[in-house]
Amino acid sequence: MKKNHKTNNTLRGILEYAVSIGIFLLIWYLYVTIKDVPAYVLPSPGKVGTSLIALFTKGTIWVHLRTTTFEVILGFAAGAFLGIILGYIFIKIDFLKTTLMPYLIFAQTAPKIALVPLFVVWFGIGLVSKIVLIISMVLFPVLSGTMLGLESIPANVRDLMKILKASKWQLFSKVEMLYASPALFSSFKVGIVQAVIGAIVAEWMSGKQGLGYILTYASSTYNTPMLLAGIIVTILLGIVTYEIVNFMENKALYWHESKQI
Amino acid sequence: MSDYSVVLKNLNKIYNNLLKDDTVALENVNLEIEQSEFISIIGPSGCGKSTLLRIVGNLDKATSGTIEYKDGVDQQLGFVFQDSVLLPWKNVRENAEFPLVIQKKQTKENEEKLDELLELAGLTEFKTALPRELSGGMKQRVSIVRALSYDAPLMLMDEPFGALDALTRDHLNEELLKIWQKTKKTIIFVTHSIEEAAFLSDRVVVMSPRPGRIKEIVKIDLPRPRGEATRNDPKFTEYSKYLRGIIG
Repeated sequence: MKKNHKTNNTLRGILEYAVSIGIFLLIWYLYVTIKDVPAYVLPSPGKVGTSLIALFTKGTIWVHLRTTTFEVILGFAAGAFLGIILGYIFIKIDFLKTTLMPYLIFAQTAPKIALVPLFVVWFGIGLVSKIVLIISMVLFPVLSGTMLGLESIPANVRDLMKILKASKWQLFSKVEMLYASPALFSSFKVGIVQAVIGAIVAEWMSGKQGLGYILTYASSTYNTPMLLAGIIVTILLGIVTYEIVNFMENKALYWHESKQI
Repeated sequence: MSDYSVVLKNLNKIYNNLLKDDTVALENVNLEIEQSEFISIIGPSGCGKSTLLRIVGNLDKATSGTIEYKDGVDQQLGFVFQDSVLLPWKNVRENAEFPLVIQKKQTKENEEKLDELLELAGLTEFKTALPRELSGGMKQRVSIVRALSYDAPLMLMDEPFGALDALTRDHLNEELLKIWQKTKKTIIFVTHSIEEAAFLSDRVVVMSPRPGRIKEIVKIDLPRPRGEATRNDPKFTEYSKYLRGIIG
């Protein structure tokens, strides 16, 4: 009975979603047709659809999609790893936190896009400069999440571990990381979105592959249907990677109050 | 020494304040605790009873004085906090088993003992429940089983039933006595409830605040095993009245 109710709700959600997108596409279509907008300014949804399908069926998109996905995953993994390590070190060694934190805040508030040309000068137009940019965008949210997570561990839990004569590694692996995981996953969700943005922006500036390259290529050749199709693929990549993190969170935090059914 | 579980000698604890006078949390505390003794520490808040327990548990350092444990510096001890401190991602059994995992003592014998303890605490049916699904009393039972799981001879309990309602508290007091009688642990029990201290203990240590020191040690001469009848015993009422008189 309850399960039935749940599936009904899901179906209704999907239906509402479909109707909303349908209305949006209809308004778009009507506007383009009635106002007779030229295709290089705003192509009709049909043209964008055709271009999108062509990207996949002709196979041009795959290599770019693969490149961007690879950059996103590698950059995110490296940024998250460094963020956790740095966050842990900052919590344990106050001196490092006070001395290094100002630089990190400085780097965080600086517009990253402005740094891309610099990264290109330093690291070339290859993979490295892109990964460095993504790391710089993922690191800070994960660092903050780690610190928040580690600071929110109840003092009594540390006392318990002391009573049990637990090693530092046991404290870290069996208690600290798990207590920090809700805050960590929140930061991962911010980080993965940042990673996609970082990858696209880096590809605009340099490179001959990736979704960002497709966008600049389509833009410079006034191929607006392809540009919009590329944007849609970018958004889809963002949604899929975000949902993967979301899925992992739901699996990992089964015990957390927020996941209570 | 061999008859004693813990001996405290001239313990002092002073907190240094930069702007105010130093706070003397404990002054010249001397106490000899026998093996398998159930000893309670009571006193008004701020008398240093929790500090004393934390020092005995090595969670805090005394400013001066010595503690001698029966098993020396490697003394294993169990600690039960006011808050159950269960790990929210572990179920009841995993939480209770946690010390065995940490100390790498997951032998078949210990696992069987653990199941017996869970049985004794009435938790068998809840082994796979997560802490969020348990009541306060249930959580505290798990916490006690966890402290017992690795068979430390000395148990330190810091107001373990302080946050529970009176009925659950009375019930858990009786269960704790049963467990104590069965396991022969030495228990140091901090509480602010006079009745609880009188009901459970062999001896009650009454402390006075600022500076925290031992005011009097009262021997509770009530027959064991104690239960419902004990609470109706006029001698029990007298002890409670007497203790209340000293605390003032």
